[in-house]
Amino acid sequence: MELIINNLSIKDNSDSRMGNTSPKVHENLLSKVANGNPEAFEKLINKYGNLIWSIARRYLSNQDEAEDAIQEIFVALWQSAGRFDPNKASEITFISMIARRRLIDNLRKNNKHKVLKSIEDSLSDDVFSQKSNLERNAEISLVVRALKKLDIQDQELLSLSIYQGYSHLEIAKLLNLPLGTVKTKIRRNLMKIRDEIKRVNTRVKNYYHG
Amino acid sequence: MDKKDKEKQILMELLALSAVEHLSVEDEQQLAQLLLQYPEYKKDDFAKTTALSQIGFYLMDDTANETLPSEIRNKILETYDSPLDEKNTLPGFNFTSLFKTLIKPAYAWSITVMLAIGLSYSMITFKTYENNYRYLPLKRMVLKNTAKDLMNHPWYGKTSDFETIQGHVIWSNDKQRGFITLTGMPINDSSLNQYQIWIVDPIKYLNPVDGGVFDITTSEKEVIIPINPKLPISNARAFAITLEQPGGVVVSSQPLLLTAPKERPKQKI
Repeated sequence: MELIINNLSIKDNSDSRMGNTSPKVHENLLSKVANGNPEAFEKLINKYGNLIWSIARRYLSNQDEAEDAIQEIFVALWQSAGRFDPNKASEITFISMIARRRLIDNLRKNNKHKVLKSIEDSLSDDVFSQKSNLERNAEISLVVRALKKLDIQDQELLSLSIYQGYSHLEIAKLLNLPLGTVKTKIRRNLMKIRDEIKRVNTRVKNYYHG
Repeated sequence: MDKKDKEKQILMELLALSAVEHLSVEDEQQLAQLLLQYPEYKKDDFAKTTALSQIGFYLMDDTANETLPSEIRNKILETYDSPLDEKNTLPGFNFTSLFKTLIKPAYAWSITVMLAIGLSYSMITFKTYENNYRYLPLKRMVLKNTAKDLMNHPWYGKTSDFETIQGHVIWSNDKQRGFITLTGMPINDSSLNQYQIWIVDPIKYLNPVDGGVFDITTSEKEVIIPINPKLPISNARAFAITLEQPGGVVVSSQPLLLTAPKERPKQKI
């Protein structure tokens, strides 16, 4: 069943409402990882390894640092897996929050930054399929829409900060902008995106609960 | 705009800023103060937004084609639940080279004894920042034997519940590394609270520095925890442990549980 709310399509995954007599068991990878299931850990790496590797390569200046970082991230995920609460955040949100924290700490520790060029010429099937899966996540597609609504300069500022891990000072130097301007714009745009997520979540909640 | 509205605006600004980079010490203190005043706001209020935005940018980036190399994937797989396998070394810590460094008569006996009785991982879970938690007994021993400016203090309980706690803190300003050991600490519920280490450096900082948070899952054995200072330490004079909200705080308002050395640090925690 699919609901369309102001062009935002949200898939309702509860098959039981459709009268499906064999209810789908949602795999909670993280709880299996927390319980010491090696196959689940491998699935976790297969599912999110490319994403985290891609982002780590953008944050950190060389492959060795990115390699250290990604190992630390997966160890942290393993250790934190027991704290995952699907009522508070989706699996991808939980994982990317932990990954971000580690990458920011690593960046601070190493105190150097370089954007790396992609070594791949084309999108591999593996990455293509994983990107497609991510795009199907309602919250992520909402955020992508919100990001695309920003003007180009604001998108660039946010991308340099959030996606590529540059500090505000580095961004100010790169783009030849006053530091105060960079801080204000990033902050305002983050608040815009946050408010947009809240607004849509509230509308969906109200829709379901009348 | 009245005073409360202005303060809330500053709070939102600091929360948004903290989601993308580390704050200055002054901003951290101001944020901590404002969060105490307005508990309806949480420190991680923007964490979800930035995490989702990061993925959003990844999806919008046509050059984001990297595939996790299989050798790195295999190394990560090997680290899962195989702590003491000599083959499974993480980058930056090579068991073989450590042994070569340490094969001196003075060290050889202690390594032999530790191996003979069985090295075990610390039975803790904690939030690590820069360090990984593997081989902590060896790492601690290396620091003890190689740091020229090593400080070593026993813990003193500041409340009746903690008077029987045994353990030490070691720290090196030169190496910016340290470890604490604890036996008999009460087990905490990490969903409610976590222990936090504080480093008192009165020359450099007005307030004690956050040394990291940790959980205790056993009171039966000695646990080893690395100290992870959030700021560079020039001259550590004392250490303390408090019990805080999950994730820790920037400025504590909780009572001291343990201090090292015995006398109360001169700074207010």
